[in-house]
Amino acid sequence: MPTLKIDNREINVPAGTKVIEAAERLGIMIPRFCFHPALGSVGACRVCAVAFTEGPVKGIQMSCMIDAQDGMVVSTTDAEAVDFRRHVIEFLMLNHPHDCPVCDEGGHCLLQDLTVAGGHGLRRYRGLKRTHINQDLGPLVQHEMNRCIQCYRCSRYYQEFTGYRDLGVMGIGSRVYFGRSAPGMLESPFAGNLIDICPTGVYTDKPSRYIGRRWDYQRQPSLCIHCSLGCNLTASARYRQVVRHEARPNLEVNGHFICDRGRYGYAYASIADRPRQAMAAGTPGPIVDILAGAREAIQQTVEKHGPGSVAVVVSPRSSLETLAVVKEACGQHGWTGPAAAHTNRQALNRNTAVSCLRPELAVSLAADTEAHDVLVIGADPLNEAPMLALSLRQVQRRGGHVIVIDPRGVQLPFDFDHWAVHPSAMGAILQALIQEIGGHRATAPDTPATFDITKLARRLNASPRPVVVCGTDILTPHEIALAGDLARALRRTHKVAGLFYTLAGANAFAAALLHDQPVSTEAVLDRIEDGGVRLLVAVEQDLWREFPDRKRLQAALKRLDHLVVLDYVDSPLNREAGHFIPTQPLYESGGHWINQEGRLQAASPVMAGGEPIEITGGSDHPPRVFDRRIPGDEPLAAWRAVAALAGEDEADPAPQLKTALADFHPAVNLSTPEATGQRIDLEAIAHDLVESGPAPEPAEDDAPADAVVLLLVDWTFGTEPLSAMAPALTRMEAAPVARLHPDEIARLGLAEGRPVTVSLNGNRLTVPVQADPRMAAGVMAVPRHHLLEWQVFGETRVIVKRSQLKAESE
Amino acid sequence: MSENKIKTDEKPLKPAESSGWSALKALVEGFATTAKHLARKPVTESYPEFKRQLPERSRARIVLTRDPDGRERCVACYLCSAVCPVSCISMQSAEQPDGRRYARWFRINFGRCIYCGLCEEACPTSAIQLTPDFENIQRDILTLVFEKKDLLVDGCGKDPSYNFYEHAGVTTDERGKGEHANEAPPVNVKSNLP
Amino acid sequence: MNYLLGLIVLLIKIAVMLGGLLLVASYLVWLERKLLARLQIRLGPNRAGIFGLLQPIADAIKLLTKEEIVPTAADGFIFRLAPAVVAVTAMMMFAVVPLGPDIRLFGRSVPMVITDLNVGLLFVFALSSLGVYGVALGGWASNSKFALLGGIRGAAQMISYELALGLSLVPVVMLAGSFSLTAIVDAQSGVPFIVLQPVSFAIFVISAMAESKRIPFDLPEAENELGAGFHTEYSGMRFGLFFLGEYVHIQVLGALTAVFFLGGWHGPWLPPVVWLMLKIFIVALIMIWIRGTLPRLRYDQLMALGWKVLIPVSLINIVVTGAFIQFAGFS
Repeated sequence: MPTLKIDNREINVPAGTKVIEAAERLGIMIPRFCFHPALGSVGACRVCAVAFTEGPVKGIQMSCMIDAQDGMVVSTTDAEAVDFRRHVIEFLMLNHPHDCPVCDEGGHCLLQDLTVAGGHGLRRYRGLKRTHINQDLGPLVQHEMNRCIQCYRCSRYYQEFTGYRDLGVMGIGSRVYFGRSAPGMLESPFAGNLIDICPTGVYTDKPSRYIGRRWDYQRQPSLCIHCSLGCNLTASARYRQVVRHEARPNLEVNGHFICDRGRYGYAYASIADRPRQAMAAGTPGPIVDILAGAREAIQQTVEKHGPGSVAVVVSPRSSLETLAVVKEACGQHGWTGPAAAHTNRQALNRNTAVSCLRPELAVSLAADTEAHDVLVIGADPLNEAPMLALSLRQVQRRGGHVIVIDPRGVQLPFDFDHWAVHPSAMGAILQALIQEIGGHRATAPDTPATFDITKLARRLNASPRPVVVCGTDILTPHEIALAGDLARALRRTHKVAGLFYTLAGANAFAAALLHDQPVSTEAVLDRIEDGGVRLLVAVEQDLWREFPDRKRLQAALKRLDHLVVLDYVDSPLNREAGHFIPTQPLYESGGHWINQEGRLQAASPVMAGGEPIEITGGSDHPPRVFDRRIPGDEPLAAWRAVAALAGEDEADPAPQLKTALADFHPAVNLSTPEATGQRIDLEAIAHDLVESGPAPEPAEDDAPADAVVLLLVDWTFGTEPLSAMAPALTRMEAAPVARLHPDEIARLGLAEGRPVTVSLNGNRLTVPVQADPRMAAGVMAVPRHHLLEWQVFGETRVIVKRSQLKAESE
Repeated sequence: MSENKIKTDEKPLKPAESSGWSALKALVEGFATTAKHLARKPVTESYPEFKRQLPERSRARIVLTRDPDGRERCVACYLCSAVCPVSCISMQSAEQPDGRRYARWFRINFGRCIYCGLCEEACPTSAIQLTPDFENIQRDILTLVFEKKDLLVDGCGKDPSYNFYEHAGVTTDERGKGEHANEAPPVNVKSNLP
Repeated sequence: MNYLLGLIVLLIKIAVMLGGLLLVASYLVWLERKLLARLQIRLGPNRAGIFGLLQPIADAIKLLTKEEIVPTAADGFIFRLAPAVVAVTAMMMFAVVPLGPDIRLFGRSVPMVITDLNVGLLFVFALSSLGVYGVALGGWASNSKFALLGGIRGAAQMISYELALGLSLVPVVMLAGSFSLTAIVDAQSGVPFIVLQPVSFAIFVISAMAESKRIPFDLPEAENELGAGFHTEYSGMRFGLFFLGEYVHIQVLGALTAVFFLGGWHGPWLPPVVWLMLKIFIVALIMIWIRGTLPRLRYDQLMALGWKVLIPVSLINIVVTGAFIQFAGFS
């Protein structure tokens, strides 16, 4: 623990800390361009020069390159150092174009700040400025190479940190160029972070290009709700429109970065067809009247058919506030539900994962990067939870090893082992692995020889810090429980071992705490079909887009006496509903979310709501009227709307929310502000909920020899319904294809690039075929793509006979 | 406490200055001066009948000027709206097909404007300028909200020559990379020649 | 019958007096603005009518039609009462001012004064003391710090200068031998008291100007320190009443100066009423001239002048006058 003196103040820092970081701990911000806490030091920009007056190092040195050592005396204000830094800035500015007024970075530009701080005002150099040709880097990142100061942050981030290779540095001397070898879309789904890390305006945000300046934005800490990881971000709004997301550093969750799905998925909150008008049977009306009408309809149904005839479905994406108020309403009134998952399997998967996540096993996304070896089971990180892939990349960078056991053609931007195991064999492999780890010789299941379970067990046993990552999308509850057992087995031999589940939905963890016995939409539809449920309230749950059997859903909804929809996305159901109540997305309502590791996090409201000026003004100036009312300000926070539906009168729902949150679950404690940002009390969750029995029921139809498992899966872009509404991201997404192993394609008599039709129980799904040699045989992966009507089979994992797969003739 | 006494350079008045005579003299002088004023012709210029030519730099109605080649100067950089102490300027920037950044709409609320001229000082392109035309009083306050079409004038105003896009190294339809003032031709990254 | 006739005559006199007072007050405003402008080489009001002669009417219409605001935190009743106190006391002082000798009308002797009180001078003092209530209460009832400060200053200033004012008139009473204003005027039929009592005259004029809160004694409403002082919160005609009170006060001051020192209506060639008017007019002009010339006193200077100069000097003056009367056999 070296002790050093910076600007006459002493500080004690851990060994290996750079002087620039030590100064930061004292609150002294030494100028820097190339140094970044996530990327480390490189000493390229020379602007962090400070004077070392005493100790082992003397003279003007780069503070980012020198480790803090005992006895150092550092001066950041030394006249020589200040002069040095001023000259460095002037040197960096020699070729800088005269374009701050038209540069989007202006206002939050590190180069701008340091130039002003250093006092450099007029360019003294009379020579010509070096110029560069820009590249088109796709719809997300705008390139302007003239502004570059050669700090190398972008290439270090892109190649070293994320592991992608298509953007880098080229040229020599003063002609150094950062870009791709040829213009084109950036391959990395983490490319948006280039915008955050570039200290000047070389990479700027393209969707928010020329929208406004940082100082005009309403900026608040927010959360990403496009997967379950709960990455922290800063949302910016301007003129009643969400215009930008930036990564918000949280070293326990997402580090310094976020993925592009989270960065650009905000458009749903401000698009023109976002419903802002309350409707009764498609006819707009004042929201107060519509709420009263819906409340009356509920009361009538309760009077006629009993309280159980009212069912509620809620989204695992909704805030904790909404979930709590919905749970309270259902509990108080005896309504059916709330259902917060689509199918029984998904509900059980989620609750199994949550109950298996014991406090001593839970690890955070950031702690993943400290893991040594990671076993990924049934998860496709890049597609399901992209930031997990970035975390795994850091494991691999630190010399760790990543093994993925998944039937899909999982791709990661680094070297890893992939066991393309057929879904039906997953359970057996896991069980064998658990036995091997426990020191028992397991009878090898029927797997290819390349999948050496003994070797894997030995590797995991030898690893100083193994972590098991398990997906919950394509697996069965039994396998999910086995993953938990595996982590526990590792812990028995290691003392340190982690378990990390990914879930479906940003608040899926909280949704799992709604009931001990999970309720799914599927079960609610059963009750509708047998006449038990007569009125359905869908709270922010876009059944039309997300329920995996649209035909059944429509038939069931027709049987209902009444449908009440509360949502902030446009859906045909909104107009069909007896009562539609617009709600607010998190930018307007704020709220709390619990991510997949049980961390309770808060998002602040960013703006007040109302129709964006972009829309009210018709792309021209805002309307020339004076009015107290903001057009389109009717939407309510979903919890308020639910409280109004459940309450007897129009009283202030705030106390109701308070009791609902207090009663939500003993594990969740919102009474102290310190609880936010911390993991909830996992100990308080019933862990005996799902027992991983010795073996599940024999897989009667799991893998008949003549069958293919059809998996409806997530893709990075295009399948998550909210982010799929972002115009920038729709340009990133690939067209939906069914991925099969080439052998399987040949066996089925299909042709690559040609459509295949899956027919099951009279339902048909037609999608072009793509060969993927990384896939397991006997598996077909189709994305839940918004351009594809995939909602046909009632499940996202179905067994299809090979005879039911036919090449589509044209 | 004595050392806390405030020290001043003020000397006590000399007896002659504080005497009744000098006070009386000052009084009489004062009354004589005002009495003499009665005989003088008032210096007032009666405004609507007599309109004085105001200096070029007097600060009144704000305009948006154009480049010497007649194109809009404003690049909607938001500096004027940021510096405006009464927040009377609002705008929305956007990109024109030719690559120029411009204000899709630009609004000044003259009902709020205090004519301080900070916007003109902040403008990096000489687009926003104050003119001596101060006679813009309206009965309907909404007519004091000027949109871009009301603000745009033909001509360069006080700065007859500056053209921002001649200097800024951004590509527009007029100038590509290396074609702006003081720019070298674009670097050929693929070349190894020094 | 006689009683009824007396009442009718009295009412007519009051009406004529009030009408004249208000008309003159409004044109005094015009005169002040115009003259002040010329003293400062400006034009003054020149838009409403020729030479701006309709300006007082425009002002009156404006004040009457403006919204009258009573601040939420103000004491409503006292707030509304205060301006009336100021205006009414100023106007009532004219009840004892004699405009001329008695005239004969339809065979009756009609005095040219509304009421010839034998303690007229004390009546004037009483009203002038009451007037300060308007200022102090108005300032207090506004519940605003500026108004309160203005009101307090007004009260302090009035108390300080009331003494000097009273003492300055003691020699006059001694010389005239009566408190009745008519008697005082009559006593000056030969030599006006300004000749006999120049020191009293000076003290009286200074104190009276301080009483009327005019520059250089306008501390209660010192604009650049207190907004508008005690009437900061007033608007519309309530402010108008304060305004009216001030200008009626100028006339009262002129009339009292004329009555006590300038020989009242006495004068050659011209009718007595015209003489009095002329004297009032001259005093008003001088006050405007002073306003156009002198800056405002500091508060400590104001107090020092009142307590350390005017009161001792007037006391000495009384002694000296008494001695003269006793030993030189004046009057």
